Amino acid sequence: MEMKWRFSHQLEEDILKIKIANNLSNLNELIDEIKKTSDEIGAITIFIGVVRGKSRGGEKVLRLEYEAYEKVAVKSLENIISDLKSKYGILDAIVEHKTSSAEVGENVVYAIVASKHREEGFKSLIELIERLKHEVPIWKKEVTEKGSYWIENIQEEKKK
Amino acid sequence: MAKVRVKYFGRLRELLGIKEEEYDAYGITVADLLLKYVPERHRNKSKEWMETIFMTVRDEVAISKDGLPILKNYIVLVNGRNVKLTYRLENGDEVAILPPVGGGYFEN
Repeated sequence: MEMKWRFSHQLEEDILKIKIANNLSNLNELIDEIKKTSDEIGAITIFIGVVRGKSRGGEKVLRLEYEAYEKVAVKSLENIISDLKSKYGILDAIVEHKTSSAEVGENVVYAIVASKHREEGFKSLIELIERLKHEVPIWKKEVTEKGSYWIENIQEEKKK
Repeated sequence: MAKVRVKYFGRLRELLGIKEEEYDAYGITVADLLLKYVPERHRNKSKEWMETIFMTVRDEVAISKDGLPILKNYIVLVNGRNVKLTYRLENGDEVAILPPVGGGYFEN
């Protein structure tokens, strides 16, 4: 999968909230926060990424370790959200991504999209997460009972 | 001599055992940095370094028609911008060598 990096796009608004950190915020507070941004909001669509207890190969996962090139990751997410605003007319979005170690069952990603209607909310959320996965410089290492693996992409997963 | 900061992530950080380091690298290209400077400083890891980031043929780095080494699906950013291997480094540049991403939130 080709990765794309775009930095030429200047953001017209600065109301985006992106956080890449060891700890995620309280989800309810994020929902309250995004609700306050506009009285046109009619739908809030949320994705929660959770550490799965089994690897693709069926091994028991002990934990995940995330590593980010933070300043570029933030810029990349800003561009993605800006694109989604233009493409679907969503009102705002919040993305939070955990770094460092995460236990099985732990929440590691919050993506929250506020829109006038549900349809553009769902479409935007899917595209946001898909692009987050392929374009944003955040790497994941899966630590399992049998070894640890950098998950670089589905085709080229290598055993360390 | 001018200083260039080089940052490593994921597999590369683990391989070299450091997150970042500096090089006196005025006027050299990114290709020079990756092919010569980094492996010379990390001699005990140089073979694995080459095999990790470059396409290789019979243990030799594959060279394209334009005479440049062929990267695997790694990306090189300088000051946050995607650059070609021919980019000449300048004083104060921050080079980041990014392994492919693919977090797997949407696995089927």
